[in-house]
Amino acid sequence: MSLALIGLRNVLRNKFRMTLTVLGSITAVLTFITMRTVIVAWNASVDYAAQDRIIATNKMSLTLPLPKRYIDAIRNVPGVTKACYQSWFGGKDLKDPKNLFRSFAMDAACLEVYDERLISPEQKQAWLADRKGAILGDLLARKLGVQVGDRISLKGTVYPGDWQFNVSAIYKTKLPSTDRSQFLFHWDYLNDSISADQKEQITWIAAKIDNSERSAQIAAAAESLFEEKDIQTSTMSERTMNIAFMTQLGGVLSALNGVSLIILFIMTMILSNTIAMGVRERTREYGVLRALGFLPKHIVRLVLVESMLIGAVTGALGVGLAYPLVERGLGRFLTENAGNVFPRFQISPTTVVVAACAAIVLSIAAALIPALRASRLSILDALRRTA
Amino acid sequence: MIPLNYNLRNLAVRKSTTASTALGLALVVFVFASALMLSNGLEKSLAKAGREDIAIVLRTGSETELSSSLTKSQMDLVVASREIARSQSGEPEAIGETVIVARMERVDGSGLSNVSIRGVPDNVLHFRPEVKITAGRAPQPGTNEVIIGGALRGRLKGLELGQIFELKKNRPMNVVGVFSAEGSALESEIWAGVQFIGAAFGREGSVSSVRVKLISPGKFEAFKASVSNDPRLEIEVLTEPVYYEQQGANTSIMLKSLGLIIAVLVSMGATIGAMITMYSTISSRQREIGTLRAVGFSRASILSAFLIESTALALVGGAIGALAALPMGFVQFSTVNFTTQSEITFKLQPSPSILITSILFGAFMGLLGGFLPAVRAAWMQPIEALRD
Repeated sequence: MSLALIGLRNVLRNKFRMTLTVLGSITAVLTFITMRTVIVAWNASVDYAAQDRIIATNKMSLTLPLPKRYIDAIRNVPGVTKACYQSWFGGKDLKDPKNLFRSFAMDAACLEVYDERLISPEQKQAWLADRKGAILGDLLARKLGVQVGDRISLKGTVYPGDWQFNVSAIYKTKLPSTDRSQFLFHWDYLNDSISADQKEQITWIAAKIDNSERSAQIAAAAESLFEEKDIQTSTMSERTMNIAFMTQLGGVLSALNGVSLIILFIMTMILSNTIAMGVRERTREYGVLRALGFLPKHIVRLVLVESMLIGAVTGALGVGLAYPLVERGLGRFLTENAGNVFPRFQISPTTVVVAACAAIVLSIAAALIPALRASRLSILDALRRTA
Repeated sequence: MIPLNYNLRNLAVRKSTTASTALGLALVVFVFASALMLSNGLEKSLAKAGREDIAIVLRTGSETELSSSLTKSQMDLVVASREIARSQSGEPEAIGETVIVARMERVDGSGLSNVSIRGVPDNVLHFRPEVKITAGRAPQPGTNEVIIGGALRGRLKGLELGQIFELKKNRPMNVVGVFSAEGSALESEIWAGVQFIGAAFGREGSVSSVRVKLISPGKFEAFKASVSNDPRLEIEVLTEPVYYEQQGANTSIMLKSLGLIIAVLVSMGATIGAMITMYSTISSRQREIGTLRAVGFSRASILSAFLIESTALALVGGAIGALAALPMGFVQFSTVNFTTQSEITFKLQPSPSILITSILFGAFMGLLGGFLPAVRAAWMQPIEALRD
C-alpha cells in the first residue's frame, strides 16, 4: 500500500470530524469568495467604464454646476462625435424615501451618448413627445411598481417640491455592469420649472469620442477651452473619473482586503487543529511505521498528503457552492436591492483560482508543524504514547 | 456538580489544540470588534459635531447643508426668534454658513478627494467654543485666509500650515491655522470666510444653513414652532445631534452591515472549529465521562461541565480578540460619506460596550459549538463508555 493511500485512509478514519472540518473550511472559503467578489463588483465601475466617453464637470466640485452653453464649445472639439448634458436631480420616492436611486435630467442626445441603455423605438418616440416623460431602468420600475403609461411623482431634494412625471419608457441594458435603477427625464422640463437663478445650468457634459486611445488628449483639449473662463472644467474619460471615485472608498477596500486575509488565517487554524488531533491520535502508528523502517520524511509526507487532500476537497466544494450561494443568491439580492452600487455581482475567475489555491497551499501550511513534530518523535516515545 | 477546575485544567492539558481553537475564535472576535469600532467611530465623530442646544435651519426637503440654500431675508426672520440666546451685546447667537464640496488632489498621488469647505462668519470660534486653533492662528476677518481641520492636514495638496491652494483661478486661499474640534467630523473640513466663499463660488446673498444657539435645549420645540408657523419661510429645523445622525446614517449602515455580514459568516467557521475541538475532547475522555456517570454525576452536570469548558475556551479567545482589537483605535480610517459626498476621516472608536459585546459574541460561539458535543457526552451510556 502506498503512502498516499494510507493518507487517504487516514482522512476517512474519523468521518464525522472530517465532515465538520470541511464544513468549517468551506464557510471560510465562501466568505473569502464573497468578499473578493464585493471588491471586484466595486471595481466593475472602472473595469467596464466606457473608454470612448469623456465627462466634463465643474473643476472645483461635482456639486457645482456648469453653464449650459459650454456644450456648444465641446461639440466642436476635434474627436468629439456627439455630446449631451445632464443635471443631477436627486429625486426621492415619496412613499419610500430610503429607496436610493439616481435621477437626472438630460437632453435627448444622451440617449445616443449612453448607448448601453436599450430602449424600444416606440418608447423612445413616446418619451421624445412627452415633456414630462421619464425613462426608468427595469429594476427601478419593478421596485416602484410602475409600468409604461403610469404617472409617478418624486420629491425633489435639490429642487424642492413634488415633481410629476409620466413613465414613457423602460430601459434594459447591454452590459451587466450598467446601473438598471436610474430615473431619467427631460432637461427642458426641469429648466422650465425652476427659479431664474438656477436656469441654464447643468451638472456634467458627456461626449462620445471617435478614438478611445486619444481620450486623454481630447479631454485635455476640451478642458483647455475653458482655462481662462471664470468657471473651469475638469474633463476626463469616464474610466479615470470612476477610478477617482473608487479611491474615495479607500479605507473600506483596504479593510475588506485585510479581513479576507484574516479569514484565510482562520481557515488555517481550523485545518491545523484537525490535523494535529489526527496526528496525536495516531502517534503510536507512526511509531510502528518508523519501527518498520520508514523514515521521518515518510511520516511528513503521510501527514501532508492527508492535509492536502482535505484542502483540495474544501477548495472544490467551496468554489462549487459559491456559484449558487454567492453569485445567484446574494448577487441577485444585491443587484436588485442595491443596483446603484452593485449593478453586477459576479465571481471572477481570478477569485476562483485564488480561493482554490489558497485552500490547498494553506492546508499544507497547516500540516507542517504537526507533521514535523510527528516525524521527530523517537520511536520509543511514539510507541509509548497512549493518546 | 463537577468542579469548574476539572474543565479548566483540561483546557491547559491540551495546549496546542486549545491555543489554535482559541486563536481562531480570537480572530473572529477581532474582526467583529473592529467592525463595531469602525461604525462607532463614524457615529461618534458625527455625534460630537452636534450639540443639544444648537438648532440647524435648512431649506425644506434639502436633507444636507450641501443642497440647502437660505436667503438673507429667510435668515433675518429666523434669527428674530425669541428662543435664541443672546450675547452680552444683545446680538442673537446665530451663524449663517455656506458649505460646498471641492475636489482636491491627494498628497500621495492616489487621485482626487472631495473635501467640505465651510464658509464661516467671523464669530464662528465664539459660536463653537469646542473648536480650538492647535497650530498657527485664527484667520483675519474678510481675507482669503483659511483654517483647516486637523484630520486633513498633510493629506491633500496645499493643506499644510503656511501653504496656499487655489480652487478657482485667481482665488488663492492661505492656510494660516489648523483647528481641532474634539475629534468630530468638523476636523475633516476647511473653514474660510463666508463672504470669500460666497464671492468665489457664486453664492452671494445666500447661505446653506443657519445655526442658532437656543436659550436652553428645552426651547427647541418652541423655536421650531415660532419659525415653522411662517409658511413663507419654507424651512426645516433640526437639532444638531439629529442632523448629524442623519448625515452619517447611510455610510454607517453600510459599514455596519458589511461588518456584521462578515462577522456572521466567519463566526460559522470558528463555531465549527470549536465544535471539532470539543468532540475530540469528549471522545478522548470517554472513559473519564463514563466514570463520572458511574460514580453518580447526573447528565445535567456533565452537560453543563462541557458547556462551561467550551464557553471558557471561547471566552479566552474572545478576550484575546477583543484586546487585540483595542490598538485598532489608533487607526485612522477615511471613506466617502455618501450623504455629504465628501471624504470623512475618523479613528476607530473602542468603547466598553463594544468590548463586552465582542467577548459575549465569542462566548456565544463557544456555547453554540460546545452544545452538540456536550449533549453527546451527557447521553453516553456509562457501561459502554467504560468498556471502550
